Amino acid sequence: MTAKVRFEEVQVGDEIPALAKIVRREEVKAYADASGDQNPLHQDDSFAHSVGFPGIIAHGMFSMAHLVKAVTDWIGDPGALRQMKVQFRAVVFMDETLVAKGRVDALDAGTRTARLSVWAEVDRAGERQLVIKNSRADVQLA
Amino acid sequence: MALNQAFKGREYQQITFPVERDRVLQFVDAVGENDPLYRNPQAARAAGYPDQLAPPTFVTVLQIMTSGQVVLDQELGLNYSMVVHGEQEYDWRRPVHVGDVLTATPVIADIYARGPNEFLVVEADIKDASGETVVVARTTLLSRGTARGADA
Repeated sequence: MTAKVRFEEVQVGDEIPALAKIVRREEVKAYADASGDQNPLHQDDSFAHSVGFPGIIAHGMFSMAHLVKAVTDWIGDPGALRQMKVQFRAVVFMDETLVAKGRVDALDAGTRTARLSVWAEVDRAGERQLVIKNSRADVQLA
Repeated sequence: MALNQAFKGREYQQITFPVERDRVLQFVDAVGENDPLYRNPQAARAAGYPDQLAPPTFVTVLQIMTSGQVVLDQELGLNYSMVVHGEQEYDWRRPVHVGDVLTATPVIADIYARGPNEFLVVEADIKDASGETVVVARTTLLSRGTARGADA
């Protein structure tokens, strides 16, 4: 019930370990079933095409879940994640590699908490696209 | 078609959601979580939790259940095929665990336009059986090109 990262071990500017995964169609389908979000935009290529995308896209929450995992893997306890606020700024297509990252922006010694900038990105044709940006997480350190 | 501004502040029907082990495991598998706290009740209890935990974004399941009322509300005027998820905020007070019975009442916190797009903000204070807030969820949906005067 306690974070594995101690407040004294962390400095402003520290980056948390990046977490990468290839987004597969089967996983997005599994996410649709698990979350209950059956919007065809995430399952039906012809529907996605009809609303202006070249193919289906992952749910925004699929990407956020991955970003949360990057943070909770680092702190070692999901109960230590207090707040997260994200902006979804680009879509994720199938077979792209989604990379979740974070950096410590501020520390509060009184509460032993850290505020992180967090983001998720994909490399699309050699260009970095920020899928989640201008986002933050607050964590309780040990 | 533009969203009906009069719906700001509208409260929808409360939903009750028992957190079941199978549903949590299905979600844990889908998001690729491997932490034993999410998979093994003994591991969770050893860490001081009452039962197996649900991942922090598991409450999206509850939000999807409640959001149907909002997105299908004809009078609100949302065209769901033009909607994308713009922003998401969670304020967690404690982790959700198997056996929790959660309730949520979605409220339209805000409706505004920016350029050609409209934004719908839905808030839900998700509580446990004792009435304590477990997590506050704030969802911003973006309706592409539907603002009044946009070439939609």
